[in-house]
Amino acid sequence: MKTPLLQVKNLNKKFLVGKGWFQQPSYVHAVHGVNVTVNAGETLGIVGESGCGKSTLGRCILRLIEPTDGEIVFEGQNIRSLQKADMQKLRRDMQMVFQNPFDTLNPKLTIQHILSEPLIAHGIPKRERAAMIEETLEIVGLNKSHLSRYAHEFSGGQRQRIGIARALMLRPKLIIADEPVSALDVSIQSQILNLLQDLQEQFSLTYLFISHDLSVVEHIADRVAVMYLGEVIELAKKEELFQRPMHPYTQTLLSAIPITDPDEKKERIILTGDLPSPSNPPQGCKFHPRCWACMDVCKTETPPFTEADGRLVACHLYTK
Amino acid sequence: MFWSKQWSMPRLELWEKIMQQKKAKYSFLMMLCIVLLGIIGPWIAPHDPTKTYYEAFMQGPSKDFWLGTDAIGRDILSRMLYGTRVTLTVAVLASVMTFVAGTLIGVTCAYLGGIVDNLIMRIMDIMLALPGIVLALAIVALLGPSQENAMIAIGISSIPAFSILIRGAALSIKQSGYVEASRSIGSSNWWIITRQFIPNISNVLVVYTTMFIGSAILGTSALGFIGLGAQPPTPEWGTMLNEGKNYLREAWWLATFPGLAITAVVFTVYLLGDALRDIFDPKS
Repeated sequence: MKTPLLQVKNLNKKFLVGKGWFQQPSYVHAVHGVNVTVNAGETLGIVGESGCGKSTLGRCILRLIEPTDGEIVFEGQNIRSLQKADMQKLRRDMQMVFQNPFDTLNPKLTIQHILSEPLIAHGIPKRERAAMIEETLEIVGLNKSHLSRYAHEFSGGQRQRIGIARALMLRPKLIIADEPVSALDVSIQSQILNLLQDLQEQFSLTYLFISHDLSVVEHIADRVAVMYLGEVIELAKKEELFQRPMHPYTQTLLSAIPITDPDEKKERIILTGDLPSPSNPPQGCKFHPRCWACMDVCKTETPPFTEADGRLVACHLYTK
Repeated sequence: MFWSKQWSMPRLELWEKIMQQKKAKYSFLMMLCIVLLGIIGPWIAPHDPTKTYYEAFMQGPSKDFWLGTDAIGRDILSRMLYGTRVTLTVAVLASVMTFVAGTLIGVTCAYLGGIVDNLIMRIMDIMLALPGIVLALAIVALLGPSQENAMIAIGISSIPAFSILIRGAALSIKQSGYVEASRSIGSSNWWIITRQFIPNISNVLVVYTTMFIGSAILGTSALGFIGLGAQPPTPEWGTMLNEGKNYLREAWWLATFPGLAITAVVFTVYLLGDALRDIFDPKS
């Protein structure tokens, strides 16, 4: 078996939220003991509702936010122990595509400027830059007549293409895509998803694809990790997960996907209660206050994230 | 988006906007005249500014001396024309100093945050606790009175206020996606500060710098007035004001004309700053 491209081991991120002189510091545990592996060439989808820590996880992996503890192993190297300069060099291999294409392109710079930034940052000589920019721009479906324009002259889909071109510029191995299509119109979403898939084939890219949209993840991912309140609660191959979800939360999520056939009857699981505050999560299994299959043990003991039926799941239903 | 058009406003469009607004148009044209006078002043001055006319001590405005002569018989108009250049040079250079240092300090603090930000901003707070002119006085006292030192003093004393303003503007840029994107790409801090932050606060920079030129002119004149700026016989508005103040009863023209010049220039600069702010930020 190959060594995975990226291994995240027991990653934690706590954000300090309240700190005063006479006040106990309080934390939001945004990412809580996450273990995931991403194999080279695959797409790992990460789903979860808003505020479950999926974007924080992505940013922690790139060390845009410094994780509190845990290990991030990229190609056999623990990048959390790297010095700043070495980390900067490594960023060549791991890039990010962001959610909001209206916000991530500097409005004061031309597309040429925006796209040459990664090349300059990683010391590509000036004479090679123009050719690389044009080549990449064509790969993402734009052309060099766009180079002298500013970001606001483009539509949302085109801007996201520019964002993808910027991430692709140095031919990275891993691209973390943080909700890359959720800000776009549905008609544009599929274009961008197809582009991402084409690029994956062409450059043997590995994606960590973060999304709250299950149908998008179903379309693009090979394996899917489901997050709830900062924890990964289920991780499985896409087909297995969508056909036979094991964790009650995953079952709930899947039951919420709208179906296109009006005659088909589908049972919808409705959760009661609100999402608990991440600064004060419930004892035991974090999902237990909203779970319909809640047992006594769930209220006291945190279920381990272990293998059950050949899949990874964190639920007491499968620990016996 | 509705705002992005205005964000990347090309220079030509800025020119058109200045010409469309009355306030901007007239203050800009007036500023142009003042700068022009500063440049060509020495050539159009009717007399030598340091030459004493022994037959004309403290003469009121006349055909030969349009704005009169001072206590030792020098032509006031010529001295004021020469002084335009001195005052403007000191004020502009001081503002350039404030601009460069203040921008770098403000943006760096906003971007880095944490201990660096706290430390530098507390130092700025301490400096801000002293009124600007007192700080400038202390610096001149330290360096010795001269035109160059007055410039340095005014420049340094306005750095705290300027950098705090810029830090505030830069903080909003820090939250933006393109700064994070830049970090994820692996760009250096210097690159992020100069290419991501500064272009996006350029509107604020232009407005604040214009405003600070106004206060720098006042500061220059104030230092000149108390004899810590340009040294005699260099003609300078503040110095002339000081020389004239003892003769206000007998010869009003000595202090009045330099005073009017200072007022007019500062007024113009503030008006221009105000107009530029209206152009850049139509919402407020």
